Formats: sequence, structure tokens, C-alpha cells
Amino acid sequence: MLIEGPSTITDPITVAVLQNRLNAIAEEMGEAMLRTSYSQILNSSRDFSVALIDGRCRLVAQADHIPVHVGAMPWATKALVEVFPTPSPNDVYMLNDPYRGGSHLPDLTAFVPVFDGPTLMFWSVVRAHHSDIGGATHGAYNPGATEIWHEGLRLPPIRLTENGVLRQDLLQMLALNVRHPRDFLGDLAAQIGAARLGEQRLNTVIAEFGGATLAASVEAMLDAAERHARDIVASWRDGVYDGTAWLDDDGFGTTNIAVRAKVTKQGSDLTVDLSGSDPQVVSFVNSSHANMQSAVTMAFAFLLDPDIAKNEGAFRPMKVIAKEGTIVWAREGAPVTMCTSHCSNEIIESIIVALSTACPDRAMGGWGRRLRIAIDGRDPRTGRRFIWHMFQARPGGGGSVAGDGFSTIGEWHSAGGIKFGSIEVAETRFPLLFETHEYRANSAGDGKHRGGTGGDMRLRIETDGPARANTAGEGVVHGTRGILGGKNGAPHDYTLLSPDAPPRKLKSKEVGVVIPPGSVIHVLSGGGGGWGDPADRDPAARAKDAVEGVIA
Amino acid sequence: MSYTIGIDVGGTFTDIVVTSPGGATTMAKAATTPGDQSDGVLDGITRAAAALHLSPSALLGQAGRIVHGTTVATNALLEGKIAPIGLLTTEGHRDIIEMREGLKPERYNLRMTPPVPLVPRRLRLGVRERMRADGAVEVPLDRTSLDAALDRLAAENVQAVAICFLHAWQNPEHEKAAAAAVRQRLQHAYITTSADVLPQIKEFERFSTTVANAAVGPVIEAYLRRLQARLAEAGYAGTLFVILSHGGVASVDEAVRLAAGTALSGPAGGVAAAVALAREGVARDLITFDMGGTSTDIALVQDGQANLSDGRAVANARIALPALDIVTLGAGGGSIAHLDRSRLLQVGPQSAGAEPGPACYGQGGTAATVTDANLVLGYLDPANFLGGRRQLDVAAATDAVARLADALSIETIAVAAGIHRLINTRMADGVRVATVRRGVDPRGYALLAFGGAAGLHVAAVAAELRVGRVVVPLAASVLSAWGMLNTDLRVELSRSQTQRSGIDICALQAAFAAMDREGRERLGWFDGEVTVRRSADMRYGEQVFEIAVPLDAMDWSSPTLGADIEAAFHARHAALYTYSLPDQDVVLVNARASVVGRLPPASGVSAGGGTARVAAKSHRRVHLGTWTDVPVFDLATLGAGQALAGPAIVESDTTTVLLRTGDAACYDVRGWLDITVG
Repeated sequence: MLIEGPSTITDPITVAVLQNRLNAIAEEMGEAMLRTSYSQILNSSRDFSVALIDGRCRLVAQADHIPVHVGAMPWATKALVEVFPTPSPNDVYMLNDPYRGGSHLPDLTAFVPVFDGPTLMFWSVVRAHHSDIGGATHGAYNPGATEIWHEGLRLPPIRLTENGVLRQDLLQMLALNVRHPRDFLGDLAAQIGAARLGEQRLNTVIAEFGGATLAASVEAMLDAAERHARDIVASWRDGVYDGTAWLDDDGFGTTNIAVRAKVTKQGSDLTVDLSGSDPQVVSFVNSSHANMQSAVTMAFAFLLDPDIAKNEGAFRPMKVIAKEGTIVWAREGAPVTMCTSHCSNEIIESIIVALSTACPDRAMGGWGRRLRIAIDGRDPRTGRRFIWHMFQARPGGGGSVAGDGFSTIGEWHSAGGIKFGSIEVAETRFPLLFETHEYRANSAGDGKHRGGTGGDMRLRIETDGPARANTAGEGVVHGTRGILGGKNGAPHDYTLLSPDAPPRKLKSKEVGVVIPPGSVIHVLSGGGGGWGDPADRDPAARAKDAVEGVIA
Repeated sequence: MSYTIGIDVGGTFTDIVVTSPGGATTMAKAATTPGDQSDGVLDGITRAAAALHLSPSALLGQAGRIVHGTTVATNALLEGKIAPIGLLTTEGHRDIIEMREGLKPERYNLRMTPPVPLVPRRLRLGVRERMRADGAVEVPLDRTSLDAALDRLAAENVQAVAICFLHAWQNPEHEKAAAAAVRQRLQHAYITTSADVLPQIKEFERFSTTVANAAVGPVIEAYLRRLQARLAEAGYAGTLFVILSHGGVASVDEAVRLAAGTALSGPAGGVAAAVALAREGVARDLITFDMGGTSTDIALVQDGQANLSDGRAVANARIALPALDIVTLGAGGGSIAHLDRSRLLQVGPQSAGAEPGPACYGQGGTAATVTDANLVLGYLDPANFLGGRRQLDVAAATDAVARLADALSIETIAVAAGIHRLINTRMADGVRVATVRRGVDPRGYALLAFGGAAGLHVAAVAAELRVGRVVVPLAASVLSAWGMLNTDLRVELSRSQTQRSGIDICALQAAFAAMDREGRERLGWFDGEVTVRRSADMRYGEQVFEIAVPLDAMDWSSPTLGADIEAAFHARHAALYTYSLPDQDVVLVNARASVVGRLPPASGVSAGGGTARVAAKSHRRVHLGTWTDVPVFDLATLGAGQALAGPAIVESDTTTVLLRTGDAACYDVRGWLDITVG
């Protein structure tokens, strides 16, 4: 076989060896990040991703962390290179601004360039979700934000170093603008350390194989992944398909906001046209451009084979059309912090719903929507202020050709990659008591293969004075979608039960809800969407669901 | 003096090593009997006795110690052949083992079904009770709800019951009361509680470990009691020991109580052997490289000690008991080379296994495996594989590799060389996982190669890692059984501490004293020397991963003990991750004690052989970039101190070693081939 590329200075064996080596480097960077990061959102909830991007801003290798980051990294690199077209060795670069390559402000992306002599060969890239990035509310998710300046500190592409040495004045400036400077600097150190590690490992590979062989091998890897992807797409039924997914509201009066995908499938090509989506809205459920691109990439990746090389080549069959000023691509200035979950989840869902009849054995019922709660109060045991973020009671995943969905597994955008942690540890560290935390009966979308169940959690708040809660998310009105005749999952249903007060339903975008001492928050999270006609469900599976209490 | 017997039950063979009063070592192999492993064990003992010109009863009658490694628990979990079990748990929390903390493997695979839990939901029964995080009772144990749950379990005829209540690590009283009630109601059930199995905070790990314990408990109990009885019947009057996942051995009673602790009993023997070889002077720092047909186990021995991890998953069951830190790769000599859908060459993860095996086995396999590539390259002798026990079919191997070559439009030999190179890269990455990713630079280590497939790959793997030395023991095939005779009695204990920052010295001292007491009690029947090693799992305030900090060097009467322990943690963190944060809060999560009863080591597997240099027994053409004629030596007949220069092949009846151009080797009379990697 001839290897297409700048030259024939590689061979199929070298290509295979180098693909293994580059994947191993990405894995090692991720491992380093997991072990050395400081804040819970990174080391426990694993909200970070790593990628190796080539000198032409193409994704070459990544480690499987948070899918919604991965498709966005090449866009971030492009934005960086526009500002720094000739990066210097040993320098570290960073950005977060959603209007300059970023997805949303809490995601800081660090870049280290890797050279073969004078030639830029790679960018070693680490993106991490920081626990705070300044702005009007703690933790960046501000349902009240109506412009991006309410959401936190914006960083255009910047160079963090001078002659290869980190600029302490710049780091202090950043740290001064966030709420937990110590965590922030610890996480940033881990992030830069992981990017540097990637640089070192890539340097070894370049020294061992030579830049020319490596470059030719990268071309071959990308072409190979393209062949794999086209081979799959070609087997789907040609046609033009429509899919719509709904957001509940923007919290400012606009309700039932549609993300509309028109997908044209012909031969081995796909065109995803999102331009029929509703106009952008007031609040943070708008998407940035890079995040929209990433969400489309993720939907496509979910329909391919799980083991396909996740690189630029695999995504070549797909073209994206979108219109600035819509919910999926907001004009500069709009708030976007929620977008990595919403409207990412709706973008993915609209595409998968659209293609469900083109490739029924690959499409899956809807995965859950995120509805977060943060509680801010005083711990009577220590007298200290605490802020707790809910990761428990996750929603269900969708059914598929393989069988029923995973229960309490999370959303499209993280796909079982976020750990909710120990409730024993949570009760030890926070004045909380989890009265129940189990599967939620009757929440799964019915189908030949049903969705997974949501969660049923009763959380008692044991403060001695009132605490305050913010909610941020989606899915109280619209449940996840069933496909191919499968039913939708039940939507979320969160209730505040306070002593001497009637039950109060929590909305998906509330700020400063007062939680009297002794209150219980009853969280019923949404179920996953069903796959296929419920009439085709195996009666034995239905009987088992009844015995196990999945159906009450 | 008396005989000691080590028994390692593997997938295909049961290996027996007997050390005699005079120090001589005898080895025997029997076929493993999967239906009842004790049949193969008795068969092996009979064969070993015959080799010693003894009757089995004479050998057993004079045996002072038998140490056994078993795969019964692992197989039960892998094959799902486990007892029907019930789970009693805190009301409102019965899905913890199935939720798996919201994590799912294979991030981009949204078309997979969830792992099947060891206890179905209908047998996970809530009991009305609740402890608070500080151990105070929030809801007293409700007898009515407990009795209702027991009615259900009795009706379902469960054989084992796991009792897992929230915060039982702080206060186990409800679990104890429930266990007593179960014992009364279900007299024959295997009963296990979370506070007994793993008294540590974090319910998912504690509960799933306890449930796994219940799942394999009845199986292990039946097997070990049967083996014990059969050995006694055959004349053995001594104690039967079982090697556990942490590499130490325990009595049958203890192995039954912590049945899930036998899950890594098999590979533990190999690591125990590496530790013993380190003691014998091979090297203080070793990386074990045990490459078999379908998988490869890699572990570290640092300064003569093997590292422990906080457990691992076996067939989706999380077992959080301390276990040797072994990295297992799903690749070996039987791994299949194929073109993936992108038409790139890949090796594995599919394996030809023992049936049908590589194409060259001539048992109907047509896929090209690593072994086939090695045969095409001339590295294996078709007439002398595994000491001639199996003939290899070169034409079949060549055909299998040629099919890939056609698809890639390159030469057959280039594909064979490519498969060899690709698997070496995979193996090198596995070693990196075990070393670099644990903050260890492998370059100062020696690779210890055992397992049938290791010899042909280990020098190239070492070269890729810039590791300068490789050691291939003569007794590679029975090394695990021998290792079992060279490890000690061990009880691993832990206690979670209050989870707040700052170290409560009084509570810590009390925990260590209690563990000291418990460990010595568990070894109460043992009349040898008992020592205790202490360590702690610690982290910075907001971190989630704890690191193990050895505390043996602490002065426990020091007035600054708390600060000393914190300083030890900062130093350990810096050693592992290059930085420490001395101004940050430190949390001591778990106190750990390793209580060790010293057993006398068995003698080494020393080599025979004279001192004369032995000439090559033959020459063979092998492909090392080009076809080269190389000498072939017989490992067992090499003279003491004999030096060999690569390129060369060294064969034993269990493995073939490839010395590449530039590699040099020396035969060490203590029983190993010592290779300097070129």
C-alpha cells in the first residue's frame, strides 16, 4: 500500500506504531492531570480533556475524557494561531473567551507548542473546567447573566510566559479575579504540567522517528480514520432528515426554544444544517461557535464505532452549516456558560433524532439533561461557610440496539464520565443527610429497549440558619427523546419541602432560593429515552422491571 | 527440617514445587482440573512425590507447609458462577453497587448495556436504620423491617448475605446486630459485613467489596475445606496456607473470611517470586514482565518490596482490598494481528487463546498471531517449542501472515516484523503505565522476564524503555509456585479516620493499637515472629486521591508526631508528583497496618550445570532486519558464568530468548540468564 502524504517516508507498520505512541501520550497526560489537579471538579468529576493537535490545527490524538471538549480544541487552536502565528518553543499559551476560540469561560485551555527544529509540529493541549472564573456568582453558572461580562473573566489568546518562564505577575492577575485563588493556581499548575509532559513525550518521538516520518504518518492516520468513517456512513440510508430538540426556557420569558437539525446524507457525506434553529436568547443557554461545532462532532462520534480513532480524519465526512445569531451560535456579548451542557445536549439530540431512521442500529434514545443545584450556607458543626454542588441523582441514559439504557449515568455531553462521589464523604464534609438516593420508578422512557431510570433523592439540609440555593439547567418541561417509536423519558421534577410551608417546585434557572433549616429537597431526575416500539418489548424484561421496582 | 510444597493452579497447568530438607528443589506439572481444582492438585503432588521416589503419603506426612495459589474466586467471578446472594442495606440506598458512582467505561460507546450487578435489585433489601457521619444513631435498627427482609431472603434460599449499612466504618453496631439476626435465621448462609471486610469510608468501594466477598465466599469455603480434608486424608498434618491478592499468605479460615482477597491469588505468586529473587541478589529494583498467551502482567518491585494498590476490578466487580499493584494488558503471544476498519494494522485485543490457538498450532486457527509472526521470523524452532511438547506448522503461520501482507501490499516478512514491533510497543507502553505513570523512572530497573512469550520480546521492550538489564530465570515456568514458598503470613488492616483536616493523634494511636491487637489475634495460632508495618492514606484537603505514606520511620513518642506525619506526606507527594503544598490542609483518610508473621524462606531454584563453556547446539536463520545466521544455545546446559553475544537464541523447555545484535548475556549460576541490553 502506498502512503499518501508529503512523501513516502513512512510505512504501514510505522503508522500503526506511531498511532499507538501518540494515543499513549494523550493517556499519560490525562493521568497526570487526574492525579495532580487540586479541585474536586477536576480530580473527582474529571471535567478536563487533553488533545494533540498538529501544526495545521487538526486533531491527531486525544484521551477519552469529556466528549464535549474534544471537537472544540481544533477551533481553540485556530483562534490561538491567528493571534500567535509564530509561537516560540518553551512558551505556554492560554485562552477561554467563547468569542475567541473558547467554549465557555470556566474552561481554560492551555497550549504548549512542539517543534522539530524550526518547524511547528504539534500543540500539546489541556482544557480544564475551573471551579470559579470570577463573575457575578460563584462557580460561573449564573442563570441571571444577560451578558458575558456577568459570567466572569475573559481571556483572549495570551502568552503566559516570557522567554519560556511563567509570568508570575500575570498568574497573580488571573488568580486575583477568581474566588479560590489557591485552587485556581493549583489546577493551573497541574494543567500546564500535563501540557509540558505531552511536549516532552512528543519531543522523544520526534527525536526517535524524525519529523518528516512523523508528519507523513500523521497524514496516513488521518486518512485511515477518514476511510473508517466513510465506510460506516456509506452504509446508512441516503436522504434528508429533520430532527428537533427542545429547551424548556431561558429563564427570561422565552419558552420552548428549538434546536433544529436538517441532516443530508448522501454517499459517505453528511451535511448538518442547524440554521433553522431559533434565535439566540437572553440567558446562558446560548452556544458559542466552538461549542456548537464540538456538539455536532460529538453526535457524529456517538454514531460511529466507539473504537474509531478520534482525529480530524474521522470527522471529514461531516460538514456543518449554522447561522450566527441563533441559539446554537450567539453573537459576541451574549452569555453562554451553560452551553457545554445546554444547548449542547439539544444539538446532539436533534442530530441523532434526525438520523435515527437512517441508521437505526446506531442511533440511541436520548440521554439525560443536566439540572444542577448549588447550596451556599453555614455548617453548624464548624461555623464555616460551605458551597456544595450536586452531582448525585443523575438522569438516565438512552436505550439502543444493544439493550436498555444505563440508569443514573448522566447526560449526552459527559456520557458516564462524571463521578458523583461518595455520599458518606459528602455527609462528613457538608451539613447534609441523604435520606434516599435510589433509582426513580416509572422514569425510564418505554421502548423495545427502554431508557435507564433517573434518580430519586431526598436530601435534608441540616443547617441552623437559612441556606441559599441556585439551580441551573434544563429538562423540567421536556424529557429526553425516545426514538424509533420509543417513548420520551420522564422530565426532571425537583421540589423543596420546608417545614411549615407548602411544597415548592424548583424551576431550572433560579437564583437565591431560600432554604429554611430542616428542609428537604426532593430530586426526581429524568429518565433516558426509549429505543423502538414498546409493543416489541420482551415480556420477560417487562416482568423483571415490575419485580425490580423499575415500574411501580 | 521437612518438605515445603508450593502449588500454583494456572489456566492450563497446575505447577508444584517441593523444597527438600537438604535444600534441593523438585518441580512437577499436572493438568489443571477446572471442575474441581483439588483433583489436579492431588495429581501434581503424586507426580512430585514420584520424582522424589516417595509415596504421596510419605511426602505429605513429612511436609511442614503447603502454600496454595488458586483461581477459584477469579473464575467464579469471570464465569458468573457465583452463589445466589442477598444484600441487606440502609433503606433508601439499595442501588449503590449498581450506580457505580455514575461512571461507565468506554466513553464513546453509547450502545452498550450496563454491567450486571452481583445481586439483582429484588434481592437488595432496605432495612430501616441509619447512622450519621459521626457514628451517632439517626434511626435505630428496626426489627420489623429486618425480619421482613429475612423472610424474603429465606424464601429466595440465598447462600450468602452481605450486610452493608451507611457509615458502618464509623459505627458497626447495626451491621453486627443484623448479622446476628441473619445467623439465627439462615444457619447455613455465608455472612459478611462491610465493617468487617473493609472498615473504610466511601460506600461504593466498601459495599461492592463486601458483595463480591459474599459472591465468592461459599465457593471458596467449599473448595478450600474440601482440599484441606483431602490433604489430611492423604497424610498431611500441617497447615494449608493460601496466597492472597496482597502477596502474603493466610490460613484457610482467614482466606474464607476474606474470600474476595483471593481474587488475585494466581498472579500474586509471580510477584512474590520477584520479591524473593530481589532478596537473592538479582536486583533491588525489578519490573516483572510475565507475558503469556492472552495477557501480560507487569508489576514493580522497589527496593525489594512489591507495591500494593487499593484494589481493582475483577469482571466488573470492584474489590477494594489491598492487592499487589499489577498492570494487566490483554495482549500476549496469542494476540491476533488484523487490519481494522480503517485498514491499519492492529495487534489484539482479540486473542486466539489456547483453542484454536495460533495458526501454527495446526488446530484450525487461521488468524495471524504474535506467535505466528515470531515463527515466520525464525525466532521459534518449529520442532522445539515448549521443549518439543508441541510441533509448529511454519506453512500455516506463513499463510496467515501472508494474507495480511496481501491486504497491505507489502512483503510477508515485513508484516511479521511489523507485528513483532507493534506488540513490543504495546508492551513497552504497559511497562510505562506501571512505572512512569506511577512516578517511577524505569531506567534504573531490571526487567524480570517469565511466562512463555516473554523471552522473544523482553530485550526489545527494554531497549524501547532504555532499560539496560533483563533477567530470565531458569525456573520461569514454575516461578509462581516457588514464589509462594518465599512469602510471609500477612494480615492487611485499615481504619478510616475522621475526615477533617489536621491529624487527631489520639484517635490515630488508638486505631493503630486496635489494628495491632486484631492482627496479632488473627495470627494468634502462629508461634513465629510477628512484625507490624504502619502506613496512612493521605491527601490535601480538596484532593480526592489519597497516596500511601509509609510511617515505619516515625517516632511514635515524638511530641511533634502530627507535624512529622504531615512532613512525611509532603515529601512523599513531592516524590510522586514533583511538587508539594506545605501550606495546605492535610487529611489523613485511612490508617493501615500490615501485620506480618515471618515464615522461613525456601531455598532458591538453583541451577545445575558445570563450569565449562557450552557450544551452540545448532544455528538458525532469523530475521533481524535482514536474514542472519545465529547460534542457538540450550539454557539449562550453559556453563556457570558463560557469556553470550547477540545475535543469538537461547532456548529452554518453557521459553525462547532472543538476543538481538548488540545484546550480551551471562549465565548466572544462581539460576538466571543476565542480559545487558545493547
